[in-house]
Amino acid sequence: MTLIILLLGLGVGVLVGLLGIGGGVVLVPAMVYLLGMDQHLAQGTSLFILLPPIGLGALREYWKQGQVDLRAGVLCALGMLLGAYGGSLVALPLASRHLKGMFGCFLVLSAILLWRKTQLEGKSFSAKGESARG
Amino acid sequence: MGKGVGQGAGIFALALICGIASGMFGIGGGVLLVPLLGLLFGFGQHRAQGTSLVALIPPTGVLALMAYAREGFVSWKTGLLLIPGVFLGGVVGGKLAEKLQPQKMRQVFAGILFALGAWQAFSAWWR
Repeated sequence: MTLIILLLGLGVGVLVGLLGIGGGVVLVPAMVYLLGMDQHLAQGTSLFILLPPIGLGALREYWKQGQVDLRAGVLCALGMLLGAYGGSLVALPLASRHLKGMFGCFLVLSAILLWRKTQLEGKSFSAKGESARG
Repeated sequence: MGKGVGQGAGIFALALICGIASGMFGIGGGVLLVPLLGLLFGFGQHRAQGTSLVALIPPTGVLALMAYAREGFVSWKTGLLLIPGVFLGGVVGGKLAEKLQPQKMRQVFAGILFALGAWQAFSAWWR
């Protein structure tokens, strides 16, 4: 079991670096299905994992390439700190079953957004290179 | 300058929304932040991802975590076991992202998320 958990962490970490995400979106369902956790417990544990700067190693690689907007990043951190507290107040009283269902809907929405983003990129590939330097 | 302030306010508002999702679903919020920085503010993909990683460095979920911990919804042991792997994997992924043009890979990831989400919603409500 311990080995599964360690390997799961490594796999999720690769996605963190590749996609610039926190990894919670993969960690939560993985803990629910692979480790048999309750939805609330998986979400709380995911928030714990995201507490230390796990993306720091990945960030260093992006920083070297000049692909970081520090001002926007700080603004986002601030907004997310406040928003996350509000979100937890909404989620905690919900029944686990409904929270699980809503999580599923959220994943579907995220998938559609990610997909739409890659479609736009395909269309304007050279423009993407410009804005990345801007 | 005025445009910069307006954009800053917009980004802050976007972050608030991503934060609510973060607290509700126990996630980092990057999965929303990355595509929306691109779609709404014209960030290039690599820049959106690098910026999202900045936002994930400070413990933005700490207030939400405390709320979950009060209710006993945190498995500290599992979390501790997962952290080193996620960190090391992140370095590898960051290096890979420079080498690859990971558009295909993101489409695959979007497909997996879609299936995973649909399955979760289905198993929660219709089974």
